[in-house]
Amino acid sequence: MEHSFSLPNSGHNYDAKASKLGMWLFLYTELLLFGGLFMVYMVYRALNPDAFLIASFNLNVWLGTINTVVLLTSSMTVAMSITAIQKGNSKLSLILLALTVAAAVIFLVIKYFEWGAKIEHGFWPGMDHFTNLPFGEQLYFYLYFFMTGLHGLHVVVGMVFILIVMKKIKNGSQNKNKNQLLENSGLYWHLVDLIWIYLFPLFYLIH
Amino acid sequence: MSNTKNNHMEDSYHITGYAEHFGTWVSLILLTFMTVFISVFGADLNTLTVATALFIASVKALVVAYYFMHLKYDPKIYRIMILIVMSMFVIFLIMLIFDYLTR
Repeated sequence: MEHSFSLPNSGHNYDAKASKLGMWLFLYTELLLFGGLFMVYMVYRALNPDAFLIASFNLNVWLGTINTVVLLTSSMTVAMSITAIQKGNSKLSLILLALTVAAAVIFLVIKYFEWGAKIEHGFWPGMDHFTNLPFGEQLYFYLYFFMTGLHGLHVVVGMVFILIVMKKIKNGSQNKNKNQLLENSGLYWHLVDLIWIYLFPLFYLIH
Repeated sequence: MSNTKNNHMEDSYHITGYAEHFGTWVSLILLTFMTVFISVFGADLNTLTVATALFIASVKALVVAYYFMHLKYDPKIYRIMILIVMSMFVIFLIMLIFDYLTR
């Protein structure tokens, strides 16, 4: 490790540990945010078990499975990109991050078609078909659109972060010795994956 | 002092190998297919399938946190903190369950 003196708040100090701890603190708040939504889900599902089951048949299990595999794979590529940069291989790191972004795009495209099909069939809250559904099924679709929507938003944010990091690797400001921004973006990306791991069985795999 | 130095070493110098990440990915994919298989083809278990699905999801979450998120090799403080957050969540959950059970 190289050591160099820098004044506090001079903009030149780099504290990887503090940065990482801060990222984790943020991730804890994210866990509680989604945790609260999962609790709402739990109560409504316990109150309307049959409606949730029937409503879940409208989702395509195979598209959900493909998206799970896509996200898990992207989690691996982002983890490997950290390995690559720590070993000093910035080029490989960039390639792996590009694959991660590609996976994010695939995920969002599949999500777009899933949502598109639902909206076409009138499942979006307020549409004619939706308002004729039993109340329990309406609750399912409220939660489905809100939770997968919020998760999708996280995918977009994670993607933007990874693109920023890629730019920084290209210009050399993220490198072998200084790569906490990449690690933090990786942590965020894994969180996105972690939430999907729960969303998938709770919305797609009710049987 | 020697302790902080040790933590520092662990923190900065452990590099997870490509093979380990790939192994983690394989186990996650296997668990995913397992949970889909149980849900789609073993449909009559009802509440048991919910429990199984959540159990498998939690195993997957732990694998992601431990290996991909590097918790396994990080200083203990991260694991302690996540334990605190999860306990908070469980307390909220228990309070919520009691609320709905006693209505």
